[in-house]
Amino acid sequence: MNGMLNVHQLNVEVMNKTLISDISFQLHQGDYLCILGPNGAGKSTLLKALMGIVKTASGEISFNQHTLSQLSQKQRAQQISYVPQAHGHQLNFNVADFIKMGRFPYRSAFSEWTLADQQAMDQAIDITHITDFLDRQMQTLSGGESQRVMIAAALCQQTPLLLLDEPTSFLDPHHQVEVHQLIRQLNEHHNISIIEVSHDLNHAAHHSKHILALKNGKTLWHGKSAELLNASHLHDLYDQQFVFTPHPQTGAMVALPCELTHDDL
Amino acid sequence: MKPFKILLIILVTTISILLISPYLGLNSTISPEIQHHILTQLRIPRILFAFIAGAGLAVCGMVFQAMFRNPLATPFTLGVASGASLGAALYVFLGFSFSLMSLDGSTFAAFLGALIAISFVYSISRLRNGFSPETLLLTGVAISFFFSSLILFTQYMSNVSDSFQILRWLMGNLTTVGYRDVLQLLPFVSICIGVILWLGRELNLLMAGDEIALSRGLAVQKTRYLLFFVTSLCVGAIVALCGPIGFVGMMVPHICRLLIGSDHHWLTPATLLFGGGFLIICDTIARLIIAPAEIPVGVITTLLGGPFFLWLLIRSRNKSF
Repeated sequence: MNGMLNVHQLNVEVMNKTLISDISFQLHQGDYLCILGPNGAGKSTLLKALMGIVKTASGEISFNQHTLSQLSQKQRAQQISYVPQAHGHQLNFNVADFIKMGRFPYRSAFSEWTLADQQAMDQAIDITHITDFLDRQMQTLSGGESQRVMIAAALCQQTPLLLLDEPTSFLDPHHQVEVHQLIRQLNEHHNISIIEVSHDLNHAAHHSKHILALKNGKTLWHGKSAELLNASHLHDLYDQQFVFTPHPQTGAMVALPCELTHDDL
Repeated sequence: MKPFKILLIILVTTISILLISPYLGLNSTISPEIQHHILTQLRIPRILFAFIAGAGLAVCGMVFQAMFRNPLATPFTLGVASGASLGAALYVFLGFSFSLMSLDGSTFAAFLGALIAISFVYSISRLRNGFSPETLLLTGVAISFFFSSLILFTQYMSNVSDSFQILRWLMGNLTTVGYRDVLQLLPFVSICIGVILWLGRELNLLMAGDEIALSRGLAVQKTRYLLFFVTSLCVGAIVALCGPIGFVGMMVPHICRLLIGSDHHWLTPATLLFGGGFLIICDTIARLIIAPAEIPVGVITTLLGGPFFLWLLIRSRNKSF
């Protein structure tokens, strides 16, 4: 029990249905963990349980020696921030106002906007390069812009751990690369630990440090990212055959899904 | 335009309404003493009463719209006002008569009714995957009908004078007996509005949805319970004293949102002023339109509100709040 985040025998039930059963893992300071798994495996639920959005049925989560269930929601939001699955375009807010809300955990009812608040906000805007659209409405942003704004708002919370739920799922290839580079920059240069839910195997294998593979709410595999691209690991996880080939430009191994045969169907 | 300027314009307009409306419809043929009496003992308290009730209803509507993230969600559409009405009607019907700290018992009965209704709507909408707007509104409509039929039943079982009292009050009514009613209403509405002004940031976060609100560190459940409590208190008091004056809580905050934006630091004071001014205007129309008789103010607000509701329903389809 010496990681920054320790999850111990976590169970989550929603409406009598078990979504997560008996998951345990550790995350060290500076780590970059990718959570992989088929749809409905409990990946998003796990992030939500860490953030306190869904209640845990049993088990314990501790963060820097604090038991999370004993912290107030505000204290939790000073330690962990969260970028939900893309829906920024549904929010009726001005971008600057939305980012400002990231300072909520540090403010009390009558406190003024302090210099520290302003610095946190300026830094978040600077890192995510969103200065140009601070005055716009969230609804008018493109998918890539909206995702950067969502990340900026979470960065405003200045937490040591950032959770991201499929941050690139609805983005075109260029914006996927852009957002992934931003996440790596946060991890490498700003020492923010990352937990990302993803379906992008090649990204997870090459850019994250550890993988937690979930299936049916249980841990299927937990290990170093370099060991992910392995036919039996991936087949167990997705019930799908993959082939592997070196990337023509970088030489790094990439996984490609095979066509389904009659036997699969 | 800057929110500050818009708020200033609303403030100036509201003050003008407050100053001008007492003099409208004063009969100049009667003696100055009687005119003076009407003005100070009837008109001014009535206008203050309308202002406080309007402000309270509008701000409660604003809170519901923000909490449920839907412009059609208000204490009226969600059955909270019907709950309050039923509470007050039962109080009259059962012939209770008590007062606590010089506050009439019907206020407490209405408050209880409001609280029961909101707990009902809230727990039902939580049973089924969170707040789908359809579930929420349908639950509210069902509860409204249910309570309305209970009110009708109460009314049917009452004697003629109680029955008329209930009917007259159900139409919404701002006739006061001097400053007493104003002082009855003021504490409830002030407490409610005070809390809501204090929770500006929290309301902004609730507008972003539960997930984002929680991840920014807002204790969503606690905040919601507090808001349910104070709005029930406010709607209960207003309904007990003025009857269910419909649609103010839907129209005013929505118009204010279009004017000044969704930031509750500006929106709450704007809604408060606009709501107060709006109900004074409706009441003035109700007073003057068939003078010397008057029609219940609830008729005016509902006549305006019905078409507005339909407009919102058509406009907000496929468009997030």
